[in-house]
Amino acid sequence: MSQFEGNVDDFGMDTISLAGPLEAKLAAIRAAGFNQVMLAARDLVGHADGWRAAVAAVKASGLRVTGFQVLRDFEGLSGHLHEYKVDIAKSMLEMCHALDCRLLLACSSTSVHASEDPQVLIRDLRKLAMLAIPMGIKVAYEALSWGRTINEFPQAWDIVSQADMPNLGLGFDSFHMFATNTPLADLELLDPEKIFLVQLADFMWNEIKSVEERIATARHFRVFPGEGVHSRDLAALTLKLHQLGYRGDYSFEVFNDDYQQMPLETVAQRARRSAVWLGESVLRRSVPLPNRMRLKQPIRG
Amino acid sequence: MTQNQPSASSREAVDEGPNPLGLNGIEFIEYATSKPQALGQVLEHMGFRPIARHRSREVLLYRQGDINVIVNAHSSGAVLTEQPVITAIALRVRDAAAAHRRALERGAWAVPARVEVMELNIPAIHGVGTSRIYFVDRYKEFSIYDVDFTPIPTVDQRPRAIAGLHLFGIVQYIGNDRTDDWTEFYGALFGFLSLPDAQRFGIMPKGRILQSPCRGFFFQLIEPEPGVLDIEDDEGLQRIGLGTPDVPVAIEALRGRGVEFVSSRETHPELRGALTRTMMGSVTFELVHNERALAQG
Repeated sequence: MSQFEGNVDDFGMDTISLAGPLEAKLAAIRAAGFNQVMLAARDLVGHADGWRAAVAAVKASGLRVTGFQVLRDFEGLSGHLHEYKVDIAKSMLEMCHALDCRLLLACSSTSVHASEDPQVLIRDLRKLAMLAIPMGIKVAYEALSWGRTINEFPQAWDIVSQADMPNLGLGFDSFHMFATNTPLADLELLDPEKIFLVQLADFMWNEIKSVEERIATARHFRVFPGEGVHSRDLAALTLKLHQLGYRGDYSFEVFNDDYQQMPLETVAQRARRSAVWLGESVLRRSVPLPNRMRLKQPIRG
Repeated sequence: MTQNQPSASSREAVDEGPNPLGLNGIEFIEYATSKPQALGQVLEHMGFRPIARHRSREVLLYRQGDINVIVNAHSSGAVLTEQPVITAIALRVRDAAAAHRRALERGAWAVPARVEVMELNIPAIHGVGTSRIYFVDRYKEFSIYDVDFTPIPTVDQRPRAIAGLHLFGIVQYIGNDRTDDWTEFYGALFGFLSLPDAQRFGIMPKGRILQSPCRGFFFQLIEPEPGVLDIEDDEGLQRIGLGTPDVPVAIEALRGRGVEFVSSRETHPELRGALTRTMMGSVTFELVHNERALAQG
């Protein structure tokens, strides 16, 4: 894959789009020309030779780890439920750290046992972010469209802003925004520096009528950007994020049962087509200079 | 930490004030090394005296004035390196158990205690890199050393400090773009506050300075130089800063004991501070002009 065949550096695949063992997924993603991969905890703990072997496989692949997912139902619990979730969070942070991954994705709670009090959610997210600080990990908090209290990104943004932790930001998933018909203009609220991850996916139908259908669509029927009926909206969203100043990673968060029955190379090529479309036609990225080095930003403040 | 009774903080907001832990200085700083005698020599050149030995481990306590430095050569799982590493800071607090609990509630990682016979259980959390932060509340009538350490016979247990040396602060090296993270860590867990950029001490002005809520000492956070490739993310406690009311007198006294200083081209930098040459590959001390000194000792 030559660098002149399109700049897809900003885009990455997610292992959840592919079937098979971790090594095969990593190889297919790499072979399709991607430089980064979003990993799930299952990729590590489900590895036949144990999670440390999975970490070694990831490092050997040469792929950068976009982020590690997903911590569910963390915020709003109390007593022993809270203590239990703190242990889960620590375990995920330790795996994330072992991968040299700098981002943990946490999605908004769906639990009926969770408090709806914003102050409680804020306190818990502050604690999660604090747990991540010594490890140099950022936490991206994402509004699941079927979250109990937080189910649209402006609400998640509000909580993130109030929590006011340097390493707590927003995880943004286009699927949930389209599912809830949240206006694109609401993106103006966001500080691009605090968008820690953008996940993109398309889907095949125009309208989602119930929460049940929303969950089923999200978990089984997503497709890569450009493959569904929301291509125009996805292009507008990506451009808007770019205009706002977002320069972070885009990961394809595509859960699809059919892709689980296709050769990995075929699925990875579909993802590549999607990345080339977004990189070349939508964002019109220039090809990077050879041997470009990434220099650190001057310290702010 | 299991709590059957809901804590008061979950029911009503209580203003904890600027010093929520009753922080009152640093009780000790710990180095780990596989060359404890060589480090001991370095410390003695700097004016410290070995005053006590740990009852069961290869651990020595050095002191001058009110500064306690522990040299730990007891390898418990972790591999010791020849180059000494600052592995722990012990904070003096009002109530160690309460301070520990408060930190855990806010997202600190507890260090599991491994106590042997005749040893105190000192609660600790994980700090930067592989270091730990201990909470100590016995530092007035009783001290933690009374239980864990045996005094070395015939040695003065209260050796005077050279040129009024006292603990001024700790320099912490951090990764790229990590200043705000660590500011939040020390702020939320212990009540440290950032000083304005214009307020600097000594001759090493880089980075951000955090002041303890007791106003007794400082952390200085230093990121890699801009332009350094974004891969140099090793973090850790780098050096100890020692305050003195008279930097030239302190330099003179320490030079007489064999300590070498890094020379600087600035005019009379020694009035503000000085930096020792690196010893054993990793140990340096910074001298900082500081009048407060003995009053708070």
